[in-house]
Amino acid sequence: MATLTKQKIGSVLAKQGILVAFALFIIAFTFANPKFLSVDNLFSVIRSSAILGIMALGVTFVVISGNLDLSVGSMMSFSTIVVLDLHDKIGPFLAIPAMFAMTLCLGAFIGFLVGYLKLNSLIVTLGMLSAIHGLTLTYSGGKNMDIADKEGTWFSVFGQGTALGIPVPILIFLGLAAVLGLVLARTPFGRKVYAVGGNGTAATFSGIRRARTVFLCYVMSSACVAVAGLIQASRSLGSQNTVGQGLELEVLAAVILGGASLMGGSGTIFKTVIGVLILGFIQNGLLLLGLQFYVQFVVTWVIIILAVWLDIAAKRGKLWSPIA
Amino acid sequence: MTLRTILAASSAALALTGMAQAAEHGPFKIGITQNNVGVDSYQTTYEQAFIAAAEENDMVESVVLDAGGDVARQIAQVEDLIQQDVDAIIIWPTNGEAVIPAVRKAHQADIPVIVTNSNIAEQGFDFVASFSGPDNITQGARSAEIMCDKFKDMGIEAEARVVQISGQPGYTTAIERAKGFEDRLPEVCPDVTLVETQPGDWNREKSQQVMEAFLVKYDDIDGVYAGDDNMGVGALNAAKAAGREDIIFVGATNFSVGYEAMEAGDYWGSIYQSPVDDAEAALQTAIDVLNGEDVPFLNYFDTPKITQDNMSEFTKPVF
Repeated sequence: MATLTKQKIGSVLAKQGILVAFALFIIAFTFANPKFLSVDNLFSVIRSSAILGIMALGVTFVVISGNLDLSVGSMMSFSTIVVLDLHDKIGPFLAIPAMFAMTLCLGAFIGFLVGYLKLNSLIVTLGMLSAIHGLTLTYSGGKNMDIADKEGTWFSVFGQGTALGIPVPILIFLGLAAVLGLVLARTPFGRKVYAVGGNGTAATFSGIRRARTVFLCYVMSSACVAVAGLIQASRSLGSQNTVGQGLELEVLAAVILGGASLMGGSGTIFKTVIGVLILGFIQNGLLLLGLQFYVQFVVTWVIIILAVWLDIAAKRGKLWSPIA
Repeated sequence: MTLRTILAASSAALALTGMAQAAEHGPFKIGITQNNVGVDSYQTTYEQAFIAAAEENDMVESVVLDAGGDVARQIAQVEDLIQQDVDAIIIWPTNGEAVIPAVRKAHQADIPVIVTNSNIAEQGFDFVASFSGPDNITQGARSAEIMCDKFKDMGIEAEARVVQISGQPGYTTAIERAKGFEDRLPEVCPDVTLVETQPGDWNREKSQQVMEAFLVKYDDIDGVYAGDDNMGVGALNAAKAAGREDIIFVGATNFSVGYEAMEAGDYWGSIYQSPVDDAEAALQTAIDVLNGEDVPFLNYFDTPKITQDNMSEFTKPVF
C-alpha cells in the first residue's frame, strides 16, 4: 500500500516536475517577502505576464510543429504602433480589425515561406525580426505613438479594465489559453500539429498536408501577437517603436521552460502557461527581494536552470545523469 | 543682395567670426555619422534639425550619414568621410569603445572629430577635438533639486521616501543620471531617503512593471525619479491604476507624453533637453573648431529644469 502511494506520487512528480519547481519558488519567495502572495501582487504579476503569455500560446503551436518563431517581439511592436496610430485616425472600432488584418498578413507571409517554400524557420523569422522592426519604423517615422485623448477612449478597457474584479488582460490570457489548449489537445488540427512536429514523414503518409499545418501555426501565432499588441497598446495608450524588442527570447524561454521540445512534437498549452508564470514570478519576486539588478540577471538564469533540471530529474527519476 | 540677406539671417556667433575668415576658408564640408536615426523620435528630430541648420548656413556643406546602430557600418562611414576629405567629422557613437580606432584614423588624417550627444570612452579623448552634448550628471542633480524643492513646498522634506527607475544598465547616460541624482539629493534634502533603485531599460512598459512591484512592496512612496519621461509616465500609469494619487514624479529628457502629463497635473517636472539644441550645438561646435576658436573639450549645451510652474516658457517637445 505504502509503495503504491509512493509510486503514485513518483509518477505525478515525473509528469509535473515543472509544477513542483513552480510551487517551490512560490514558497521560497513568500518566505522572503510575505507580500509576494498578496492578491494585489498576484494580479499584478499575472497581468504583466499576460502579454508575454499570449504570445507564448501561439509560439507553442509553432514550436510543437517543429519550427521556431523569433519574429513575435518585433511583430508585437508593429501591432501596437499600428493600432495606436489608427485609433486616432479611423477610430478604435475600425483600428482593431485593421491591425489584426495587417498582423495576420505578416504571419501568413512567414507561414508561406516556411510552409510552402520550405525555408528554414530560424533564418526566416530571424530575418523577419529586423524586417518588421524596419517596417514599424518606416510606418511611424521613428516617432513614439500616443493616443491624443487618453481619458476619453473606451480603448483602454483591454489593458486597464476589470471584469468581476479581475483585470481584463488576465481574463483574455486565461480564456485564450483555455480555447487554444482545447484546440491543441482535442481537435484534428491539434493532432496534426503534433504529428507534423513529431514525425513529418509519417504525417505525410497519413495524408496530413504538412505545409498547410505549418502555415496555420504561423497564422495562429500572429493572431496571438495581435491580441498581445492590442493589450499592450491599451495598457499604456502610447508606445515606443521598440516596445516588444527582446520579447521573442523570453517567449521562447517560457515555452521551452514549460517543457515543449525544440525538436517539435511535444509540449502543451498548460505547461506553457506554467512556464510563463514562472518567468513572471521570478522577475517580480526578485524585485520584491530588492536584489541589486546586476545580480538579478544572474539569479534569473540560475532559477531557470534549476527549474529545467528539476523537471528533467523528475522525468528520469534521478538527479544525476551524465551523457554516456 | 542675396548674399547680404543670408548673412543677416545667419547666427550671431557666425557674424562675430567675421567675413574675412569665411572668405578665407570657403564653405566647410562637415560630415556626420549618426547612431540610429528612426529608432526613436529624439534621433529622428535631431537629424531633421541638423539638416535644416546646415542648409540654412551657406558656409556649411554637409554630408549626413546614419550607421543604423551598427558599429561596423559607422567605422566604414568614418573611413568614407576621410576619403571624401571633409573638413570635420561629427560622430554620434554607436559604441563608445569600438569607434575609437576610426576616430583615431580621422585624427591622424588631420580631420577634427566632434563627438555629439554621448561621449566616447576616455582612452579616445586624445583624438577628439570637442564633445558637444548634454551633461547627464547635471541633469540628474537638477532632477534631485526639483524633487527636493517640491518636497519642501509640501513640507515633507523631513520624511519623504523616494524610489528611482533608472535607464538601461551599463549605459553611460543611465549611470551618469543616476549618479547625479544620488549625489545631489542628500546635499539638498538630507532627510529624504532613496529606498530603492531598479532599471526600467528606457522602456515604458518595463518601468510600469517595476513601479507595480514597488507599490506592492512599499506602502509609503512620496516621489519617483525616472531616468527619462518615457519611464516616468510608465511609473505614473502604474500609480494611477493602483489609485496612489499623491506621488511626485520627476523625470529627465522631457518627452511630449511627459509634457502632457504635466499639463494634466499628474507629473511634476523634468529636464528639458531639445534634440534641436543638441543638433545645432554639434554643428556650431564643429564650425567653431574649424574657425580655430577656443572650444572647451566638454562643450555642454544647457538643459534647463521644467516643472508645472514654468512649463509655459517651453514649447511642447516634438518627440
